[in-house]
Amino acid sequence: MNEELRDKARALGLDRLTEEHLAQFERAATGMERHLRRLPRGVPVAQEPAHVYRAKGEAP
Amino acid sequence: MSGDLAYLGLAEAAELIRTKKLSPVEYVTALLARVERYDAKYNAFIALTPERALTAARAAETEIGAGRWRGPFHGMPYALKDIIDVKGLATTAHSKILKGDIARRHAVVTERLEAAGGVLLGKLSTHEFAIGGPSFDLPWPPARNPWNRDHFCGGSSSGSGAGLAAGFFPAALGTDTGGSIRNPASMCGITGMKPTYGRVSRRGVAPLAFSLDHIGPMTRTVRDNALMLQVIAGHDPGDPGSADEPVPDYGATRGQGVRGLRIGVIRHFYTSDVAGHPEQVEALDAAVKLLAGAGVETREITLPALQDFSACGQIILAAEAYAVHEQWLKERPHDYGARARERLLAGATLRAVDYLQAVRWRLQLRDRVASAFANLDAAITASSMDPACRVDDDEALAANYWRQARMPFNVTGQPGLVIPAGFSKSGLPLSLQLVGHPFGEAALYRIAQFYEEATGWTKRHPPGLSD
Repeated sequence: MNEELRDKARALGLDRLTEEHLAQFERAATGMERHLRRLPRGVPVAQEPAHVYRAKGEAP
Repeated sequence: MSGDLAYLGLAEAAELIRTKKLSPVEYVTALLARVERYDAKYNAFIALTPERALTAARAAETEIGAGRWRGPFHGMPYALKDIIDVKGLATTAHSKILKGDIARRHAVVTERLEAAGGVLLGKLSTHEFAIGGPSFDLPWPPARNPWNRDHFCGGSSSGSGAGLAAGFFPAALGTDTGGSIRNPASMCGITGMKPTYGRVSRRGVAPLAFSLDHIGPMTRTVRDNALMLQVIAGHDPGDPGSADEPVPDYGATRGQGVRGLRIGVIRHFYTSDVAGHPEQVEALDAAVKLLAGAGVETREITLPALQDFSACGQIILAAEAYAVHEQWLKERPHDYGARARERLLAGATLRAVDYLQAVRWRLQLRDRVASAFANLDAAITASSMDPACRVDDDEALAANYWRQARMPFNVTGQPGLVIPAGFSKSGLPLSLQLVGHPFGEAALYRIAQFYEEATGWTKRHPPGLSD
Protein backbone atom coordinates (compact mmCIF):
# COMPACT_ATOMS: atom_id res chain seq x y z
CA MET A 1 0.00 0.00 0.00
CA ASN A 2 1.48 3.37 -0.91
CA GLU A 3 2.57 5.78 1.79
CA GLU A 4 0.63 8.63 0.26
CA LEU A 5 -2.65 6.81 0.91
CA ARG A 6 -1.61 5.89 4.44
CA ASP A 7 -0.69 9.54 5.11
CA LYS A 8 -4.04 10.67 3.76
CA ALA A 9 -5.89 8.23 6.02
CA ARG A 10 -3.77 9.31 8.99
CA ALA A 11 -4.50 12.97 8.29
CA LEU A 12 -8.21 12.13 8.44
CA GLY A 13 -7.74 10.44 11.81
CA LEU A 14 -8.16 6.98 10.30
CA ASP A 15 -4.92 5.65 11.74
CA ARG A 16 -6.33 2.27 12.78
CA LEU A 17 -7.00 1.10 9.23
CA THR A 18 -5.22 -2.11 8.34
CA GLU A 19 -3.74 -2.82 4.90
CA GLU A 20 -7.03 -4.47 3.91
CA HIS A 21 -8.98 -1.44 5.12
CA LEU A 22 -6.67 0.92 3.23
CA ALA A 23 -7.32 -0.99 0.03
CA GLN A 24 -11.04 -0.50 0.68
CA PHE A 25 -10.46 3.16 1.41
CA GLU A 26 -8.68 3.53 -1.92
CA ARG A 27 -11.50 1.82 -3.83
CA ALA A 28 -14.08 3.95 -2.01
CA ALA A 29 -12.20 7.17 -2.81
CA THR A 30 -11.83 6.17 -6.47
CA GLY A 31 -15.55 5.42 -6.70
CA MET A 32 -16.40 8.79 -5.15
CA GLU A 33 -14.08 10.56 -7.63
CA ARG A 34 -16.33 9.28 -10.44
CA HIS A 35 -19.36 10.89 -8.79
CA LEU A 36 -17.48 14.13 -8.08
CA ARG A 37 -16.56 14.51 -11.75
CA ARG A 38 -20.27 14.90 -12.56
CA LEU A 39 -20.86 17.53 -9.87
CA PRO A 40 -21.66 20.93 -11.42
CA ARG A 41 -19.51 23.69 -10.01
CA GLY A 42 -20.97 26.74 -11.73
CA VAL A 43 -24.04 27.17 -9.56
CA PRO A 44 -25.32 30.77 -9.39
CA VAL A 45 -23.85 32.49 -6.34
CA ALA A 46 -27.21 33.50 -4.96
CA GLN A 47 -28.49 29.94 -4.84
CA GLU A 48 -28.22 28.87 -1.24
CA PRO A 49 -27.25 25.29 -0.66
CA ALA A 50 -30.02 24.54 1.80
CA HIS A 51 -32.88 26.20 3.55
CA VAL A 52 -33.31 24.07 6.60
CA TYR A 53 -31.97 26.23 9.41
CA ARG A 54 -34.59 27.98 11.44
CA ALA A 55 -33.95 29.95 14.58
CA LYS A 56 -35.90 28.53 17.49
CA GLY A 57 -38.08 30.41 19.95
CA GLU A 58 -41.09 32.68 20.03
CA ALA A 59 -41.19 35.96 18.10
CA PRO A 60 -41.02 38.96 20.46
CA MET B 1 -49.92 -25.06 8.80
CA SER B 2 -51.74 -24.44 5.58
CA GLY B 3 -50.01 -22.38 2.90
CA ASP B 4 -53.19 -20.30 2.80
CA LEU B 5 -52.53 -18.95 6.29
CA ALA B 6 -48.85 -18.26 5.52
CA TYR B 7 -49.72 -16.15 2.51
CA LEU B 8 -52.87 -14.61 3.91
CA GLY B 9 -52.91 -10.91 3.12
CA LEU B 10 -53.18 -8.27 5.83
CA ALA B 11 -56.57 -7.08 4.57
CA GLU B 12 -58.02 -10.60 4.41
CA ALA B 13 -56.58 -11.55 7.80
CA ALA B 14 -57.93 -8.33 9.32
CA GLU B 15 -61.45 -9.16 8.16
CA LEU B 16 -61.19 -12.71 9.51
CA ILE B 17 -59.90 -11.41 12.84
CA ARG B 18 -62.57 -8.71 13.05
CA THR B 19 -65.32 -11.25 12.45
CA LYS B 20 -63.65 -13.67 14.91
CA LYS B 21 -63.15 -16.34 12.25
CA LEU B 22 -59.40 -16.22 12.84
CA SER B 23 -57.82 -16.05 16.26
CA PRO B 24 -54.75 -13.78 16.49
CA VAL B 25 -53.18 -16.38 18.79
CA GLU B 26 -53.74 -19.14 16.24
CA TYR B 27 -52.41 -16.92 13.44
CA VAL B 28 -49.31 -15.85 15.34
CA THR B 29 -48.62 -19.40 16.55
CA ALA B 30 -48.81 -20.70 12.99
CA LEU B 31 -46.47 -18.03 11.64
CA LEU B 32 -43.96 -18.55 14.45
CA ALA B 33 -43.95 -22.28 13.67
CA ARG B 34 -43.31 -21.51 10.02
CA VAL B 35 -40.41 -19.22 10.92
CA GLU B 36 -38.97 -21.94 13.18
CA ARG B 37 -39.26 -24.45 10.36
CA TYR B 38 -37.83 -22.44 7.49
CA ASP B 39 -35.84 -19.46 8.66
CA ALA B 40 -32.59 -21.36 9.15
CA LYS B 41 -32.57 -21.43 5.35
CA TYR B 42 -33.45 -17.76 4.74
CA ASN B 43 -32.12 -15.83 7.78
CA ALA B 44 -34.88 -13.23 7.63
CA PHE B 45 -34.86 -12.76 11.41
CA ILE B 46 -32.05 -11.53 13.62
CA ALA B 47 -34.21 -11.94 16.72
CA LEU B 48 -37.52 -13.72 17.03
CA THR B 49 -39.63 -12.64 20.03
CA PRO B 50 -42.23 -15.44 20.42
CA GLU B 51 -43.18 -14.82 24.05
CA ARG B 52 -43.72 -11.13 23.45
CA ALA B 53 -45.72 -11.94 20.31
CA LEU B 54 -47.98 -14.47 22.00
CA THR B 55 -48.64 -12.12 24.91
CA ALA B 56 -49.65 -9.37 22.46
CA ALA B 57 -51.76 -11.79 20.42
CA ARG B 58 -53.61 -12.96 23.53
CA ALA B 59 -54.26 -9.34 24.56
CA ALA B 60 -55.57 -8.55 21.09
CA GLU B 61 -57.81 -11.58 21.13
CA THR B 62 -59.26 -10.60 24.50
CA GLU B 63 -59.89 -7.03 23.39
CA ILE B 64 -61.48 -8.02 20.10
CA GLY B 65 -63.55 -10.63 21.91
CA ALA B 66 -64.82 -7.86 24.18
CA GLY B 67 -65.89 -5.81 21.16
CA ARG B 68 -62.98 -3.39 21.16
CA TRP B 69 -61.57 -3.92 17.63
CA ARG B 70 -59.10 -1.11 16.93
CA GLY B 71 -58.84 -1.45 13.15
CA PRO B 72 -57.19 -3.58 10.47
CA PHE B 73 -53.87 -3.82 12.28
CA HIS B 74 -55.38 -5.21 15.49
CA GLY B 75 -53.91 -8.64 16.19
CA MET B 76 -51.82 -8.40 13.01
CA PRO B 77 -48.35 -10.00 13.01
CA TYR B 78 -45.57 -7.80 11.69
CA ALA B 79 -41.80 -7.49 11.88
CA LEU B 80 -39.28 -4.64 11.87
CA LYS B 81 -35.96 -4.10 10.16
CA ASP B 82 -33.40 -4.12 12.92
CA ILE B 83 -32.54 -0.46 12.76
CA ILE B 84 -35.96 0.45 14.22
CA ASP B 85 -36.21 0.74 17.99
CA VAL B 86 -38.48 -1.39 20.12
CA LYS B 87 -38.33 -0.61 23.82
CA GLY B 88 -36.49 -3.35 25.70
CA LEU B 89 -35.10 -5.05 22.58
CA ALA B 90 -31.67 -4.65 21.03
CA THR B 91 -31.35 -2.56 17.87
CA THR B 92 -28.24 -4.03 16.30
CA ALA B 93 -28.31 -2.56 12.77
CA HIS B 94 -26.94 -6.05 11.96
CA SER B 95 -23.58 -4.85 13.24
CA LYS B 96 -21.04 -5.84 15.83
CA ILE B 97 -20.80 -2.13 16.64
CA LEU B 98 -24.29 -2.05 18.17
CA LYS B 99 -24.64 -5.69 19.27
CA GLY B 100 -26.58 -5.75 22.55
CA ASP B 101 -27.62 -2.09 22.35
CA ILE B 102 -31.02 -2.09 24.06
CA ALA B 103 -33.55 0.55 23.00
CA ARG B 104 -34.98 2.63 25.83
CA ARG B 105 -38.10 3.66 23.96
CA HIS B 106 -40.10 2.78 20.89
CA ALA B 107 -39.47 4.46 17.56
CA VAL B 108 -42.49 6.53 16.53
CA VAL B 109 -43.42 3.96 13.86
CA THR B 110 -43.26 1.18 16.46
CA GLU B 111 -45.50 3.22 18.77
CA ARG B 112 -48.03 3.66 15.98
CA LEU B 113 -48.06 -0.02 15.01
CA GLU B 114 -48.38 -1.06 18.65
CA ALA B 115 -51.17 1.45 19.26
CA ALA B 116 -52.99 -0.01 16.26
CA GLY B 117 -52.81 -3.42 17.96
CA GLY B 118 -49.98 -4.94 15.88
CA VAL B 119 -48.17 -8.05 17.10
CA LEU B 120 -44.41 -7.84 16.69
CA LEU B 121 -42.83 -11.18 15.74
CA GLY B 122 -39.23 -9.97 15.88
CA LYS B 123 -36.40 -7.94 14.36
CA LEU B 124 -35.22 -8.50 10.82
CA SER B 125 -31.92 -8.81 9.00
CA THR B 126 -30.59 -5.75 7.23
CA HIS B 127 -27.45 -4.84 5.40
CA GLU B 128 -25.14 -3.51 8.10
CA PHE B 129 -26.31 -0.02 9.12
CA ALA B 130 -28.59 -0.16 6.06
CA ILE B 131 -25.63 0.39 3.75
CA GLY B 132 -23.33 -2.54 3.13
CA GLY B 133 -24.32 -6.04 2.15
CA PRO B 134 -24.81 -8.88 1.72
CA SER B 135 -22.09 -9.63 4.28
CA PHE B 136 -20.76 -12.94 5.49
CA ASP B 137 -18.41 -11.41 8.06
CA LEU B 138 -20.98 -10.16 10.60
CA PRO B 139 -22.40 -11.72 13.76
CA TRP B 140 -25.51 -12.81 11.81
CA PRO B 141 -25.70 -14.32 8.32
CA PRO B 142 -27.32 -12.33 5.50
CA ALA B 143 -30.93 -12.98 4.49
CA ARG B 144 -31.40 -15.19 1.44
CA ASN B 145 -33.90 -14.98 -1.40
CA PRO B 146 -36.84 -17.41 -1.01
CA TRP B 147 -37.24 -17.60 -4.80
CA ASN B 148 -33.75 -19.07 -4.99
CA ARG B 149 -31.50 -18.93 -1.96
CA ASP B 150 -28.39 -18.81 -4.13
CA HIS B 151 -29.53 -15.42 -5.38
CA PHE B 152 -29.41 -11.98 -3.79
CA CYS B 153 -32.55 -10.94 -1.90
CA GLY B 154 -31.80 -7.24 -2.21
CA GLY B 155 -31.20 -4.78 0.56
CA SER B 156 -30.75 -3.14 2.74
CA SER B 157 -34.20 -4.17 4.07
CA SER B 158 -33.27 -7.73 3.21
CA GLY B 159 -35.02 -9.63 6.02
CA SER B 160 -38.22 -7.68 5.35
CA GLY B 161 -38.24 -8.75 1.69
CA ALA B 162 -37.17 -12.33 2.35
CA GLY B 163 -39.63 -12.85 5.21
CA LEU B 164 -42.59 -11.58 3.20
CA ALA B 165 -41.74 -13.79 0.23
CA ALA B 166 -41.32 -16.76 2.58
CA GLY B 167 -44.76 -16.21 4.13
CA PHE B 168 -43.39 -15.45 7.60
CA PHE B 169 -45.56 -12.35 8.15
CA PRO B 170 -47.99 -10.22 6.13
CA ALA B 171 -46.35 -6.84 6.82
CA ALA B 172 -42.96 -5.37 7.69
CA LEU B 173 -41.21 -2.06 7.79
CA GLY B 174 -38.13 -1.21 5.79
CA THR B 175 -36.06 1.91 5.34
CA ASP B 176 -34.87 3.49 2.11
CA THR B 177 -31.96 5.93 1.72
CA GLY B 178 -30.87 4.97 -1.79
CA GLY B 179 -33.44 2.30 -2.61
CA SER B 180 -33.39 -0.07 0.37
CA ILE B 181 -37.13 -0.76 0.47
CA ARG B 182 -37.54 -0.98 -3.29
CA ASN B 183 -34.52 -3.16 -3.99
CA PRO B 184 -35.64 -6.13 -1.85
CA ALA B 185 -39.19 -5.57 -3.13
CA SER B 186 -37.83 -6.06 -6.67
CA MET B 187 -35.63 -9.02 -5.81
CA CYS B 188 -38.19 -10.86 -3.66
CA GLY B 189 -41.33 -10.16 -5.71
CA ILE B 190 -43.17 -8.18 -3.05
CA THR B 191 -44.61 -4.65 -2.73
CA GLY B 192 -42.53 -1.85 -1.21
CA MET B 193 -43.40 1.82 -0.79
CA LYS B 194 -40.84 4.53 -0.20
CA PRO B 195 -43.23 7.30 0.80
CA THR B 196 -42.62 11.00 0.31
CA TYR B 197 -39.76 12.43 2.39
CA GLY B 198 -41.30 13.51 5.68
CA ARG B 199 -44.46 11.39 5.34
CA VAL B 200 -43.34 8.90 8.01
CA SER B 201 -41.42 9.83 11.14
CA ARG B 202 -37.84 8.57 11.42
CA ARG B 203 -37.50 9.24 15.14
CA GLY B 204 -36.10 6.16 16.86
CA VAL B 205 -34.65 4.71 13.66
CA ALA B 206 -30.87 4.53 13.22
CA PRO B 207 -29.95 7.21 10.69
CA LEU B 208 -27.94 6.54 7.57
CA ALA B 209 -28.22 9.90 5.77
CA PHE B 210 -30.62 12.36 7.35
CA SER B 211 -31.79 14.14 4.22
CA LEU B 212 -32.35 10.94 2.24
CA ASP B 213 -33.73 8.54 4.88
CA HIS B 214 -37.29 7.25 4.54
CA ILE B 215 -39.32 4.60 6.40
CA GLY B 216 -41.97 2.65 4.54
CA PRO B 217 -44.27 -0.36 4.44
CA MET B 218 -43.39 -3.67 2.80
CA THR B 219 -46.16 -6.17 2.12
CA ARG B 220 -47.11 -8.75 -0.46
CA THR B 221 -50.04 -6.84 -1.93
CA VAL B 222 -50.84 -3.24 -2.78
CA ARG B 223 -53.94 -3.08 -0.61
CA ASP B 224 -51.98 -4.32 2.41
CA ASN B 225 -49.31 -1.74 1.75
CA ALA B 226 -51.87 1.07 1.79
CA LEU B 227 -53.31 -0.24 5.06
CA MET B 228 -49.89 -0.24 6.71
CA LEU B 229 -48.97 3.22 5.45
CA GLN B 230 -52.26 4.47 6.88
CA VAL B 231 -51.09 3.38 10.33
CA ILE B 232 -47.59 4.86 10.24
CA ALA B 233 -48.07 8.08 8.21
CA GLY B 234 -48.44 11.46 9.87
CA HIS B 235 -46.67 14.40 11.33
CA ASP B 236 -44.17 14.03 14.16
CA PRO B 237 -42.90 17.31 15.63
CA GLY B 238 -39.95 15.36 17.05
CA ASP B 239 -38.56 14.59 13.59
CA PRO B 240 -37.26 17.81 11.98
CA GLY B 241 -37.86 16.32 8.52
CA SER B 242 -41.46 15.34 9.25
CA ALA B 243 -44.08 17.03 7.09
CA ASP B 244 -47.19 18.56 8.58
CA GLU B 245 -49.41 17.45 5.70
CA PRO B 246 -52.82 15.82 6.09
CA VAL B 247 -52.90 12.05 5.64
CA PRO B 248 -55.52 11.00 3.09
CA ASP B 249 -57.47 7.74 3.14
CA TYR B 250 -55.16 5.50 1.11
CA GLY B 251 -57.96 3.03 0.49
CA ALA B 252 -60.29 5.64 -1.01
CA THR B 253 -59.14 5.10 -4.61
CA ARG B 254 -59.54 1.33 -4.45
CA GLY B 255 -61.49 0.00 -7.42
CA GLN B 256 -61.53 3.33 -9.26
CA GLY B 257 -59.54 1.96 -12.20
CA VAL B 258 -57.06 3.95 -14.22
CA ARG B 259 -58.99 5.30 -17.21
CA GLY B 260 -58.09 8.91 -17.93
CA LEU B 261 -54.94 8.99 -15.82
CA ARG B 262 -51.77 10.48 -17.35
CA ILE B 263 -48.63 8.49 -16.74
CA GLY B 264 -45.14 9.47 -17.87
CA VAL B 265 -42.77 6.72 -18.94
CA ILE B 266 -39.15 7.34 -17.89
CA ARG B 267 -37.80 4.89 -20.45
CA HIS B 268 -34.35 6.38 -20.87
CA PHE B 269 -33.45 5.30 -17.33
CA TYR B 270 -33.58 1.62 -18.34
CA THR B 271 -32.84 1.70 -22.05
CA SER B 272 -30.16 4.32 -22.73
CA ASP B 273 -28.82 5.66 -19.41
CA VAL B 274 -28.40 2.05 -18.34
CA ALA B 275 -29.28 -0.91 -20.56
CA GLY B 276 -31.73 -2.98 -18.56
CA HIS B 277 -31.85 -6.76 -18.78
CA PRO B 278 -34.02 -7.62 -21.83
CA GLU B 279 -36.57 -9.53 -19.73
CA GLN B 280 -36.89 -6.59 -17.33
CA VAL B 281 -37.32 -4.12 -20.21
CA GLU B 282 -39.90 -6.41 -21.80
CA ALA B 283 -41.85 -6.55 -18.53
CA LEU B 284 -41.87 -2.75 -18.29
CA ASP B 285 -42.96 -2.33 -21.90
CA ALA B 286 -45.75 -4.86 -21.31
CA ALA B 287 -46.91 -2.93 -18.23
CA VAL B 288 -47.03 0.35 -20.16
CA LYS B 289 -49.01 -1.36 -22.93
CA LEU B 290 -51.44 -2.83 -20.40
CA LEU B 291 -52.03 0.58 -18.80
CA ALA B 292 -52.48 2.26 -22.19
CA GLY B 293 -54.97 -0.44 -23.14
CA ALA B 294 -56.95 0.37 -20.01
CA GLY B 295 -57.36 4.00 -21.00
CA VAL B 296 -54.27 5.56 -19.45
CA GLU B 297 -52.64 8.35 -21.44
CA THR B 298 -48.98 7.32 -21.49
CA ARG B 299 -46.12 9.35 -22.89
CA GLU B 300 -42.36 9.21 -22.59
CA ILE B 301 -40.76 11.90 -20.51
CA THR B 302 -37.11 12.86 -20.18
CA LEU B 303 -35.44 13.60 -16.88
CA PRO B 304 -31.78 14.33 -16.21
CA ALA B 305 -29.56 11.28 -16.69
CA LEU B 306 -29.79 8.54 -14.13
CA GLN B 307 -26.05 8.95 -13.47
CA ASP B 308 -26.63 12.56 -12.38
CA PHE B 309 -29.12 11.51 -9.72
CA SER B 310 -26.82 8.70 -8.69
CA ALA B 311 -23.80 11.00 -8.33
CA CYS B 312 -25.75 13.65 -6.46
CA GLY B 313 -27.37 11.12 -4.14
CA GLN B 314 -24.18 9.18 -3.45
CA ILE B 315 -22.20 12.32 -2.55
CA ILE B 316 -24.91 13.45 -0.12
CA LEU B 317 -25.33 9.95 1.29
CA ALA B 318 -21.60 9.42 1.78
CA ALA B 319 -21.11 12.79 3.49
CA GLU B 320 -24.09 12.45 5.83
CA ALA B 321 -23.33 8.79 6.66
CA TYR B 322 -19.71 9.63 7.42
CA ALA B 323 -20.88 12.25 9.88
CA VAL B 324 -22.77 9.50 11.71
CA HIS B 325 -19.98 6.90 11.55
CA GLU B 326 -16.75 8.92 11.73
CA GLN B 327 -15.93 8.16 15.33
CA TRP B 328 -16.59 4.44 15.04
CA LEU B 329 -14.58 4.27 11.80
CA LYS B 330 -11.68 5.91 13.57
CA GLU B 331 -11.86 3.80 16.71
CA ARG B 332 -13.32 0.46 15.63
CA PRO B 333 -12.88 0.04 11.87
CA HIS B 334 -12.32 -3.70 12.34
CA ASP B 335 -15.80 -4.10 13.86
CA TYR B 336 -17.53 -3.29 10.56
CA GLY B 337 -18.11 -5.84 7.85
CA ALA B 338 -16.04 -5.24 4.72
CA ARG B 339 -18.91 -4.03 2.54
CA ALA B 340 -20.22 -1.43 5.00
CA ARG B 341 -16.72 -0.23 5.88
CA GLU B 342 -15.83 0.35 2.24
CA ARG B 343 -19.04 2.21 1.49
CA LEU B 344 -18.81 4.35 4.62
CA LEU B 345 -15.15 5.26 4.05
CA ALA B 346 -16.23 6.91 0.80
CA GLY B 347 -17.37 9.88 2.86
CA ALA B 348 -13.97 10.46 4.48
CA THR B 349 -12.41 12.19 1.50
CA LEU B 350 -15.29 14.51 0.67
CA ARG B 351 -14.83 18.21 1.27
CA ALA B 352 -17.54 20.42 2.75
CA VAL B 353 -17.84 22.24 -0.57
CA ASP B 354 -18.52 18.96 -2.42
CA TYR B 355 -21.41 18.20 -0.11
CA LEU B 356 -22.82 21.71 -0.36
CA GLN B 357 -22.58 21.76 -4.15
CA ALA B 358 -24.37 18.41 -4.24
CA VAL B 359 -27.15 19.86 -2.09
CA ARG B 360 -27.46 22.79 -4.52
CA TRP B 361 -27.49 20.37 -7.45
CA ARG B 362 -30.19 18.39 -5.71
CA LEU B 363 -32.53 21.39 -5.76
CA GLN B 364 -31.96 21.82 -9.50
CA LEU B 365 -32.65 18.14 -10.14
CA ARG B 366 -35.78 18.30 -8.00
CA ASP B 367 -37.08 21.30 -9.96
CA ARG B 368 -36.40 19.66 -13.31
CA VAL B 369 -38.31 16.55 -12.26
CA ALA B 370 -41.19 18.65 -10.93
CA SER B 371 -41.46 20.38 -14.33
CA ALA B 372 -41.52 17.04 -16.15
CA PHE B 373 -44.28 15.82 -13.81
CA ALA B 374 -46.39 18.98 -14.16
CA ASN B 375 -49.14 17.48 -16.33
CA LEU B 376 -48.93 13.94 -15.07
CA ASP B 377 -50.62 11.91 -12.37
CA ALA B 378 -47.59 9.64 -11.97
CA ALA B 379 -44.70 8.05 -13.84
CA ILE B 380 -43.50 4.52 -14.43
CA THR B 381 -39.92 3.30 -14.68
CA ALA B 382 -37.63 0.50 -13.60
CA SER B 383 -36.57 -0.21 -10.06
CA SER B 384 -33.84 -2.80 -10.66
CA MET B 385 -32.31 -3.28 -14.09
CA ASP B 386 -31.85 -7.01 -13.58
CA PRO B 387 -33.39 -9.96 -11.82
CA ALA B 388 -31.53 -11.01 -8.65
CA CYS B 389 -27.90 -11.96 -9.27
CA ARG B 390 -26.15 -14.80 -7.50
CA VAL B 391 -25.26 -13.97 -3.91
CA ASP B 392 -21.64 -15.06 -4.49
CA ASP B 393 -21.15 -12.94 -7.61
CA ASP B 394 -19.18 -9.96 -6.27
CA GLU B 395 -19.09 -8.12 -9.57
CA ALA B 396 -22.85 -8.37 -10.09
CA LEU B 397 -23.49 -7.40 -6.46
CA ALA B 398 -21.38 -4.28 -6.91
CA ALA B 399 -23.28 -3.46 -10.12
CA ASN B 400 -26.54 -3.79 -8.18
CA TYR B 401 -25.75 -0.45 -6.53
CA TRP B 402 -25.79 1.48 -9.81
CA ARG B 403 -27.96 -0.68 -12.09
CA GLN B 404 -31.09 0.74 -10.51
CA ALA B 405 -33.46 3.71 -10.85
CA ARG B 406 -34.33 4.24 -7.20
CA MET B 407 -31.87 6.91 -6.07
CA PRO B 408 -33.52 9.64 -8.20
CA PHE B 409 -36.51 9.61 -5.88
CA ASN B 410 -34.47 9.69 -2.70
CA VAL B 411 -32.87 12.78 -4.19
CA THR B 412 -36.22 14.41 -5.05
CA GLY B 413 -38.12 12.96 -2.07
CA GLN B 414 -41.03 11.80 -4.25
CA PRO B 415 -42.86 8.57 -3.40
CA GLY B 416 -41.80 5.42 -5.24
CA LEU B 417 -43.83 2.21 -5.15
CA VAL B 418 -42.32 -1.05 -6.41
CA ILE B 419 -44.55 -3.98 -7.33
CA PRO B 420 -43.97 -7.34 -9.01
CA ALA B 421 -44.11 -7.25 -12.83
CA GLY B 422 -43.60 -10.88 -13.78
CA PHE B 423 -40.84 -13.43 -13.68
CA SER B 424 -37.67 -14.14 -15.60
CA LYS B 425 -37.24 -17.38 -17.50
CA SER B 426 -35.18 -18.58 -14.54
CA GLY B 427 -38.13 -17.99 -12.21
CA LEU B 428 -36.87 -14.85 -10.48
CA PRO B 429 -39.11 -11.82 -9.89
CA LEU B 430 -39.17 -8.81 -12.20
CA SER B 431 -40.55 -5.48 -11.06
CA LEU B 432 -41.70 -1.99 -11.94
CA GLN B 433 -41.64 1.31 -10.07
CA LEU B 434 -44.42 3.89 -9.97
CA VAL B 435 -43.41 7.41 -8.98
CA GLY B 436 -45.76 10.12 -7.78
CA HIS B 437 -45.97 13.75 -6.86
CA PRO B 438 -44.91 14.59 -3.31
CA PHE B 439 -47.62 13.21 -1.00
CA GLY B 440 -49.22 11.51 -4.01
CA GLU B 441 -49.03 7.98 -2.60
CA ALA B 442 -52.77 7.41 -3.10
CA ALA B 443 -52.44 7.78 -6.90
CA LEU B 444 -49.67 5.17 -6.90
CA TYR B 445 -51.81 2.73 -4.94
CA ARG B 446 -54.66 3.28 -7.39
CA ILE B 447 -52.50 2.44 -10.42
CA ALA B 448 -50.69 -0.41 -8.70
CA GLN B 449 -53.92 -1.98 -7.51
CA PHE B 450 -55.29 -1.98 -11.04
CA TYR B 451 -52.07 -3.52 -12.41
CA GLU B 452 -51.91 -6.11 -9.65
CA GLU B 453 -55.49 -7.25 -10.28
CA ALA B 454 -54.97 -7.30 -14.04
CA THR B 455 -51.83 -9.44 -13.88
CA GLY B 456 -52.11 -11.55 -10.75
CA TRP B 457 -48.33 -11.58 -10.18
CA THR B 458 -48.68 -11.23 -6.41
CA LYS B 459 -50.59 -14.52 -6.23
CA ARG B 460 -47.41 -16.45 -7.01
CA HIS B 461 -45.21 -17.59 -4.16
CA PRO B 462 -41.77 -19.17 -4.01
CA PRO B 463 -41.72 -22.93 -4.61
CA GLY B 464 -40.63 -25.37 -1.92
CA LEU B 465 -42.18 -23.55 1.01
CA SER B 466 -45.52 -25.30 1.33
CA ASP B 467 -46.34 -27.58 4.17
